[in-house]
Amino acid sequence: MSTAETLPDASIRLGAQGVTRRFGELVANDRITFRAMRGTIHAIVGGNGAGKSTLMRILQGMDRPDEGMVVVDGVPTVFLGPADAFSRGIGMVHQEFMLVPGLTLLENLVLAHEPTEGLGRIDRKAALEAARKLEREAGVTLDWDTPVDDAPVHVRQIVEILRLLYRGADVLILDEPTAVLAPAQVQELIVLLRKLRAEGRTILFISHKLDEVMALADEITVIRAGQVIGTMTTADTTKAALAEMMIGEILSKPSARPSSVGRPVLEIRELAALDARRSLRLKELDLDVRAGEIVGIAGVAGNGQDEIIAAVTGLGHIERGRIVLDGKDVTKLDLRDRRELGLSYLSPDRAVEGLCLTAPISENLIAGRHRSPELSKGGILQKGAIKRHVETLLDRFSVKRTSSALPIASLSGGNQQKVAMARELDGGPKLLLACQPTRGVDIRGIAFIHQCLLDYREAGGAVLVISEELEELIALSDRIVVLYDGRVTGEVARGSAKVEELGRMMLGETRQEIPA
Amino acid sequence: MIDNIIHAAFVMTTPILLAALGGLVNRIAGIVNIGLDSMMLAGALAGLMVASLTGSWPAALLAAAFVGGFLGLLMSLTVTRLAANEIIVGLGFNIAVAGLVRFFLKSWYGTSGTLSLADVAMLPRIHIPVVANIPVLGAILSDHDPLTWAAWLLVPVSAWFLARTRLGLRLRAAGAAPHAARALGLNPLSLRDASTVFAGMMAGLAGAYLCIGVVGIFNEGITAGRGFLALAAFYFGRNRPWATALGALLFGLFDAIQIRLQGRGLPAELVQTLPYVMVIVILTLVAITVKRARNKGA
Repeated sequence: MSTAETLPDASIRLGAQGVTRRFGELVANDRITFRAMRGTIHAIVGGNGAGKSTLMRILQGMDRPDEGMVVVDGVPTVFLGPADAFSRGIGMVHQEFMLVPGLTLLENLVLAHEPTEGLGRIDRKAALEAARKLEREAGVTLDWDTPVDDAPVHVRQIVEILRLLYRGADVLILDEPTAVLAPAQVQELIVLLRKLRAEGRTILFISHKLDEVMALADEITVIRAGQVIGTMTTADTTKAALAEMMIGEILSKPSARPSSVGRPVLEIRELAALDARRSLRLKELDLDVRAGEIVGIAGVAGNGQDEIIAAVTGLGHIERGRIVLDGKDVTKLDLRDRRELGLSYLSPDRAVEGLCLTAPISENLIAGRHRSPELSKGGILQKGAIKRHVETLLDRFSVKRTSSALPIASLSGGNQQKVAMARELDGGPKLLLACQPTRGVDIRGIAFIHQCLLDYREAGGAVLVISEELEELIALSDRIVVLYDGRVTGEVARGSAKVEELGRMMLGETRQEIPA
Repeated sequence: MIDNIIHAAFVMTTPILLAALGGLVNRIAGIVNIGLDSMMLAGALAGLMVASLTGSWPAALLAAAFVGGFLGLLMSLTVTRLAANEIIVGLGFNIAVAGLVRFFLKSWYGTSGTLSLADVAMLPRIHIPVVANIPVLGAILSDHDPLTWAAWLLVPVSAWFLARTRLGLRLRAAGAAPHAARALGLNPLSLRDASTVFAGMMAGLAGAYLCIGVVGIFNEGITAGRGFLALAAFYFGRNRPWATALGALLFGLFDAIQIRLQGRGLPAELVQTLPYVMVIVILTLVAITVKRARNKGA
């Protein structure tokens, strides 16, 4: 063996060498080897269930590999626990943030490492000084006395990142950091991470959003089914190549065939609605969705989308206006009555509103349909009939599961969303209100869900899609309506929508008429 | 007449306030302490016994705080380490301690219900000359014992402690987000244990106050559910020390009025329910006001 091989390569800040982790039969990580170089941004991409989360847990000491080692500064290492990993400068920003509600941003920053003066008193001046220093490093400004609960989600994320820096981490592991962010905030995060890289920090970025990966990463490692498929520099690859490596085949893009547009199924007239803080968020909206048509609503979060959902479902109060469903004024009806008239609602928040994560898959699938005479007689659930119904639906939507009696939390995010989708399309609704239909779903799942929506449209269904993914809206919608500050700033038909133009309208510029 | 009621109100407030401040810190750290009443009862008995044995009221208070704190530790460990439900454990402590006290009185002193001991050292009263003669103000400030002064002093101290100190911050974190606290290397369970020990000590002192500050004898019904009034006080105060103190004062006032009303033709049993009825009335009114304010606010 030559000396060159035995000397640790200190330019490798963090990596894995033959890491294997098994859970019973399942091999979550299969001889994974990769290296993230010091001062670079390294992306780990893979679909749902590829083994990304297991690898991350191992890299930050929360789990130990059955075989293989974590590599730190070029040296194979065994972590005793997360504290051990942290003492080597490795910290993680979790998908669900680890900030303490009720505390201010500053208190969260210094928690567990508080500068103190006499009597255990927190030295506020020193804490604020440290915060300002981090601000300068990261190129942001924050109001540190804001309670966490009042801070928007991207600010919380920044605080979480700064807290890792405050505590001395120089390797940041970010797990799907953009999942919770609006497009403009994604750009801010990208700028922030680049700045941190420029200061010599190493960033490990886990994602399945290839646009962001291509924009941000220096090197990319693709994993699929627990194995490394390849590592490449960003300059040497393309989005399409990555997608193919991620899923192992070239997916045909779901395509929209022309469909015949029928009568209006949803008519929204002069709608205005208050938000949860009782200020007027949705100011004026007139909108029709016709049978055989998908209408998309684009906009930065908080420009009235939530209020449209509340108004169409009847889950919130409206200030004025009318909602007409299939020719019938439903403004005063509750969600149950509206559902009976043919409304279906795919919630933007799968974990809280869309599904009951602790309940079995089967119960989630029949929720809301449990009153139908085939499934229950005199208040008694008909087990046999339910099982047949559930299995048929699960097969039709190709939901991967071991048993429909298991809690739905046992499914991957993509499969959970398929269950929610299956339930909402079951029973032939007239209108589907689909909100963030592919949030947290991988490429293959997205293609499947998009195909479902397009099939439903072709069969004469009407869909109102509210999404923060512009690509998704462009792929699905016959018309895209752009919302800004509670009003429509523009409307674009299928085929003529461009991301840049939509982006401008989302920031309040009305559509420019091209002078003749 | 008014002065008498005001003075009595402050006297009846002290035990509620002591236990409420303990329970408040406990709740902020993440445990709703239903067992305050049991710690109060044990503290009352321990306080009286040591006051009679040693003739020293500081020793009596120390013993009461120790016994209350010890019960708090037991309760906390059951909740934090054995993952028992805090409500059930708290109720269990109230019932078990009441039973044990009854058993102890019978087997040790051969009495049932009431214990009266010789040479009990009562808490001294601090008379402030001149001020004592000013109407109202005199009733508020003069002729109170050291424990009452300490209880009121603890109001700003605990507010400062929770908001400004390292331990206060960590207690708040342990209560609001135990997982996050643990991920940062804190031990939320130990923080909770510490807060329950504190709550137990405070409840123990509250119990001792009833024995050697007010009546001078022990009775198995001496707490009369004041541990629950304390609970109501920090719910009323929504975890803020000054608002909690106000709640304690309100309930103390109704307790004093109730005592005044006894023997005036109204059935005593009915009159005694006054503070508890007022708890329901006041908490309901607070809830309605909060809801109104929320609906009105921008």
